[in-house]
Amino acid sequence: MSTSPVRLSVRLRQTLQPLQQSDARRALALSLAIGALVGLVTVAFILLTGRLAARMYPAGGAGWRRIFVPTLGSLITGYLLWRFFPFARGSGIPQTKFALFINDGRIQFRTVFGKFFCCSASLASGIALGREGPSVQVGAGLASVIARSAGLNKDQVMSLVPVGCSAALAAAFNTPIAAVLFSLEEIMGDLHAAVLGTAVLASATSWMVLHLVLGDDPLFHVPGYRLVHPVELAIYAALGVVGGLGSVAFVKLLLRLRDYFKGLPKWSAWFQPVAGGLTVGLLGYFRPEVMGVGYNYVDKILNGDVVLKTVALLAILKIVATAVSYSSGNAGGIFGPSLFIGATMGASVGSVAHHFFPTYTAGPGAYALVGMGTAFAGIVRTPLTSVIMIFELTRDYTIIVPLMISNLIAYFISYGLQRAPIYEALAHQDGVHLPSAKTREEGKRMRVNQAMRVAPPAPAEADGDEFRRLAERLATSSEMPPHVHPDHDLSLALERMGASGLTVLPVVSRADVHKLLGIVVLDDVLRAFGVSRPSEARESTGLT
Amino acid sequence: MIRAFDKPSFARTFALTILAIGALFAINVFLAKAESEANRVEAARFYENGQRLMQAGQSAEAADQFKSALSLERENQDYRLALGEALLAAGKIQDAQSTLQSLLDLNSFSGPANLAMARVLVKQDQIQRAISYYHRAIFGQWKENARANQVRARLELADLLSRQNSKEGLLAELLPLQDEVSDDIATLEKLGQWFLAADSPARAAATFRLVLRDDPESADAYAGLGAADFAQRNYRAARGNFAAALRLRPSDRAIAARLDVCDRVLTLDPTLKGLGVGEQSQRSRKLAELALNSLKQCAGLASTSSAAESIEAAEKQLKRRASASSDIELAERLWQKRKTDCGQTGAPDRALALVMEELAQ
Repeated sequence: MSTSPVRLSVRLRQTLQPLQQSDARRALALSLAIGALVGLVTVAFILLTGRLAARMYPAGGAGWRRIFVPTLGSLITGYLLWRFFPFARGSGIPQTKFALFINDGRIQFRTVFGKFFCCSASLASGIALGREGPSVQVGAGLASVIARSAGLNKDQVMSLVPVGCSAALAAAFNTPIAAVLFSLEEIMGDLHAAVLGTAVLASATSWMVLHLVLGDDPLFHVPGYRLVHPVELAIYAALGVVGGLGSVAFVKLLLRLRDYFKGLPKWSAWFQPVAGGLTVGLLGYFRPEVMGVGYNYVDKILNGDVVLKTVALLAILKIVATAVSYSSGNAGGIFGPSLFIGATMGASVGSVAHHFFPTYTAGPGAYALVGMGTAFAGIVRTPLTSVIMIFELTRDYTIIVPLMISNLIAYFISYGLQRAPIYEALAHQDGVHLPSAKTREEGKRMRVNQAMRVAPPAPAEADGDEFRRLAERLATSSEMPPHVHPDHDLSLALERMGASGLTVLPVVSRADVHKLLGIVVLDDVLRAFGVSRPSEARESTGLT
Repeated sequence: MIRAFDKPSFARTFALTILAIGALFAINVFLAKAESEANRVEAARFYENGQRLMQAGQSAEAADQFKSALSLERENQDYRLALGEALLAAGKIQDAQSTLQSLLDLNSFSGPANLAMARVLVKQDQIQRAISYYHRAIFGQWKENARANQVRARLELADLLSRQNSKEGLLAELLPLQDEVSDDIATLEKLGQWFLAADSPARAAATFRLVLRDDPESADAYAGLGAADFAQRNYRAARGNFAAALRLRPSDRAIAARLDVCDRVLTLDPTLKGLGVGEQSQRSRKLAELALNSLKQCAGLASTSSAAESIEAAEKQLKRRASASSDIELAERLWQKRKTDCGQTGAPDRALALVMEELAQ
């Protein structure tokens, strides 16, 4: 009997032997496992927050409970976050990016546990935040824990973190494609990231798990969308303006309040979340719809069950409730609230439009749907993800054009009035400078052709002779020496110089690699980056 | 668990992950079932409240309850149907339509959903589409009392078609109903009326006779039978039935008016069997005089010059003694002239018109 565990372990190793033979197989197996595990954890998150909330502040329950429960909830979770899980505060997206780009993909199991527990308690007590951002951190954390425990190296761990993010969002939003896009667009900041395949695999697995446990009941029950008249596109553009301005108002309010809370004495950090809980409680006393994730009410709005005054008021109240809840340090995300805010803003615009142009416009529900994407694009600043996400929710192609119009207008207004995207701004407040899409784009804009010396068409001078010799050598050489193409990043030229020990590289045509277009010299590269060396080093191509 | 992760090992980690997946799956399934059961109970409570409110005529409030029930149990078709019907009753036609459409998307054969959708379309005045949905309801699936519900749907369709004066369509719906409603007197009476509206007096008469067999004191059945006889130009029988109806319901002016028309036709028609030669001549002359008066009246109204010659010639002919057949011919000529010159101008005497139609045939 005593040998049984040993024999079991040996058999297990033998069974898993094929998986361990290559990195690709291990990545594939772990992506599937992470997808399933993260999917199940997210489903548990959904079930717990939904069920607990129904018990804590039931619909039609006493008013005092709506004040007491979120206040008490924020007090308890505030202490736990301060004392035991400091990295589990907030939404989870900046924390995940921090782990990925600064901490080599390391997220502690304690943080994962703390995030899950505190967020469940927080959201169940009615705090006006969402569960998607935390799910992303939990998913990323589980991926990180599993990858490190499996003995993967730093790069492999980092490549599995976005896989966990995709799986989490796929289950949280029931939108597997948008989940992958979000992981690439926002978390990685690169739509061409190498993790695309594994992210898709994990997202699909997680989505299957969600449907296996909860059935085919979608997150939102969206009635059929219809563009009634082309004139409506103008109203969707107006919705984009409203959504953009609303998004900026929300982001600015949240950042200012967070700045204020960060300025308070450090000892009060454990108590600060109570401000959020109390605010939600007081608002919830009069308008219970403000409390919690609020997807039930979003569902009602989407089905056109709206009164203009109510939805307009709720848009404002939710902005305030979420901004205070988040900035005071409660655990929870802003994805869900941004959808709520978008739906209420959209329904408000739709109600007005339908009142004045009933024959040319759809009902408020259709505008609420587009408004959700609009606010998401304006607040989170992931326009592609927001379009695909709403498309996945509706599964209706006709919504794409109105959605794109509205989202892009909101995105540009938001960009114009608030340069730093919310997650970047939040990280800045914490003294962390994460690589943003903009800086990455700027890096990419530095191309070899900006620093290269172009080969003369008919070399006759001394320089021309060198070019001619180089060109001849390239034309006759069977093995290509280290080289770059004109559209390569300058950083790649630097890498290749470093790897080859050369300070000059030939720039060759992509269409004909034996054709010399010019050379790129180390000093020119450094000058392009704004750095100059005190003395010129000897330049050598290694070819001449 | 944390200790297990202390020393990196792919096999152990993978195995533990699979174990965790299994455990979480079991927990989640348990939680989901508990959630689903709680939702089911709560939804049923909302549904019952809604039913109560519907019975009390508070359809808007009932719709809210059904919405709440449906938000908890999305797949429940009974809740969706109830919501559609409540919205329709509350006058929210568009909402009712979209709700019922979503139900039909789930089950296009649903009899009650198709019937409710037909009612929505009637409200929207989309009669052809409504008829199509009525047919789907008639041939659709019904959970209980399928036969009775199908008959109910067909009766509703017949009522719509009779209001639309769609005689052929109406007759097509009535024929299958004959055997289905033979025990229900009130419905049989309606059926008889619809047969009359569908220009099928013989079937109407047969139906009213069925009613009278079970309820010999039904004034409506006698009146209906009278109308059926009247439509078949059996004025003598019609008169008898109208008289019987009037005996049972003396204050009914409509029946009295129809009885009067019958009497006048019977006193005016010169071709009735059993009349003596003198009576025949007298009636023929009277008929010609009435036809002349009618032409005079309408000529005065329509101011047609060509009618004047015909009137003058007829007056001359009437001053002379003539045979019954020549008087009838004169009456027919004058009536034809009246029709040609006056068209619809001036309403002719109903009894005269009926007799002239009879003669023309």
